[in-house]
Amino acid sequence: MLKRFRLEEPESVKDASDFLARHGESARVYAGGTELLLVMKEGLIQYERLINIKNIAGLDEVKLDDGVIHLGALATHCKLASSTLLQERLPAFVRMEKNVANIRVREVGTLGGNLSFAEPHADPGTVLMVLGAKLVAGKSSSRREIPVEKFFVDAYETCLEADEILTGIRVPLLPSHSAVAYLKFGYLERPSVGVALFLAVDGGGKSIADARIAVGCVGPAPKRIEEAESLLKGKGFDEASRLISKAGEIAGDASQAISDLHGSQDYKEHIVQVLLKRAFHQAYGQCQPGGKGQGGLHG
Amino acid sequence: MAKVTSKRVKGQLIPISLTINGTLHEIDVEPHELLLDVIRDRLGLTGAKRSCDVQVCGACTLLLDGRPVSSCTLLAFEARGREVMTIEGLAQNGKLHPLQEAFIEHGGFQCGFCTPGMILTAKTLLDENPDPTEEEIINFMQGNICRCTGYKKIIESILAAAKKMKASSSRI
Amino acid sequence: MRFEKEIEILNSKEKVWAFLWDVDRFITCVPGCKEAKTVEAGKSYTAMMVEKVGPFRVEFPMGIEVLESQAMSHIKAQASGSDSRVGSRLKVEIDVRMKEEGEKTHLSLGVTVDILGKLATLGHSIIKRKADLVMEEFAQAIKNRLEGVS
Repeated sequence: MLKRFRLEEPESVKDASDFLARHGESARVYAGGTELLLVMKEGLIQYERLINIKNIAGLDEVKLDDGVIHLGALATHCKLASSTLLQERLPAFVRMEKNVANIRVREVGTLGGNLSFAEPHADPGTVLMVLGAKLVAGKSSSRREIPVEKFFVDAYETCLEADEILTGIRVPLLPSHSAVAYLKFGYLERPSVGVALFLAVDGGGKSIADARIAVGCVGPAPKRIEEAESLLKGKGFDEASRLISKAGEIAGDASQAISDLHGSQDYKEHIVQVLLKRAFHQAYGQCQPGGKGQGGLHG
Repeated sequence: MAKVTSKRVKGQLIPISLTINGTLHEIDVEPHELLLDVIRDRLGLTGAKRSCDVQVCGACTLLLDGRPVSSCTLLAFEARGREVMTIEGLAQNGKLHPLQEAFIEHGGFQCGFCTPGMILTAKTLLDENPDPTEEEIINFMQGNICRCTGYKKIIESILAAAKKMKASSSRI
Repeated sequence: MRFEKEIEILNSKEKVWAFLWDVDRFITCVPGCKEAKTVEAGKSYTAMMVEKVGPFRVEFPMGIEVLESQAMSHIKAQASGSDSRVGSRLKVEIDVRMKEEGEKTHLSLGVTVDILGKLATLGHSIIKRKADLVMEEFAQAIKNRLEGVS
């Protein structure tokens, strides 16, 4: 049973932001509630007011907007997973969304809610990190765009200000001859390790023009691992294949993994290494001209 | 953060009308009431069960506008203006749904606790995909947990129901 | 969960020992520790441990018992408290060993933290990370205080 709270249902970002500014820590934005209601049921946190933002029009759109993919913050995982636009432009993102939590959570939970709650054991943030996404936050009379790398501050903590609401996520179109792979591992209810890789190859498909690596779930927040990326950039496939284990080791070390119920630090770091290797081969194959194989989510 | 007690928050009633198993209901709910509690305690429809209470097991599954949701983690007012289907609403005029028949014929349940959730979720699958492969069934049903059967009979029941439903629809 | 920390303080054993028992000054070094009171000097104390992780806040009113102490040498203490709001209990065992090394005092700090109840399952990783940070901040703070920096 939940403790009693008041429901506010603003119809604009401005009104929602005003509520938040007025009530501070005693109010919280509520969308799908799939994370929020769980911790409220556990009694870990209480709010006097929940600000239901689902009546704000236009926050759930998924569209191509001036050469950039716009994902509305209120788009449910289900809506994202079934978008033909996204299947065409961001197939790895769609595959990740299809496998978030379970079917019931996907039906109700929103991308914006997932990102704002900043639960460490989650998938979307890690993938958005290698996609170069920007998160759009709005308040009363202003808005700003936040790169994903800056968004996650710590476990359950984002850089959103008290009166700011996440309204959308903007993802640049992927260049040709590039691919994204996201592999995750887990045996509990939430994922224990998640590794996302973006690879771009040069025109001939021979060497790696760009690499972006992000590790999620093991530490307090998803993390870009630039040190591992620079090991791969500019290398041909053979050399990169030789270096990928080292890159995985670096990624594991840098991921801030800690020992907990999901596994020991050593174990998680090792899994990071394994998943990066698999992601590398999967993504590289998809980068090749004509190589549009899908690959597995679990490697 | 100031300590919040229920007394500080004034009661707020939200009048909602919703269709449950085809019947229109008009009730007042407080914002913090959960759909599962309203369905079970106020409407007496006890097919949906509170089991894990963290929306992982699927025993509390209800269909909201035909889509499966965890009623243990859904605020009741979210069902306003929408159609809810519970397991009690599946049989029509005393006739069991092919899924219910199949679960009985093929031993798709033992204690029955997970079964309402299983059947409602399977219904969603078959409505979407009338001819699923075993792999598609396993994938779709991944979020519904059973502690008794080992799942084999559940999958068989769903396959059998699909076959039955295809056969009867092709006769039309 | 077990945490160990070695702290080197540029100050005498006597000053460090006195500091450890000066409750009001000591608790300023422990992040999250508020309202410390002496119940029986040298034997029992109370304090409030308040920690915040993102939007989550826990408050553990702790009772602290000194189990063993040998002047200028070591202290062994035990603390426990419950936060009924989150249905959890915090138990801490502390042992401090002190050694003089020329002009420096070397503190060997060993802390065993046990969380029981809801937080144990839900917050295991968070608690571990937080406890690591607390130890780190404590070590820095006690150094600063005793080395005359702050």
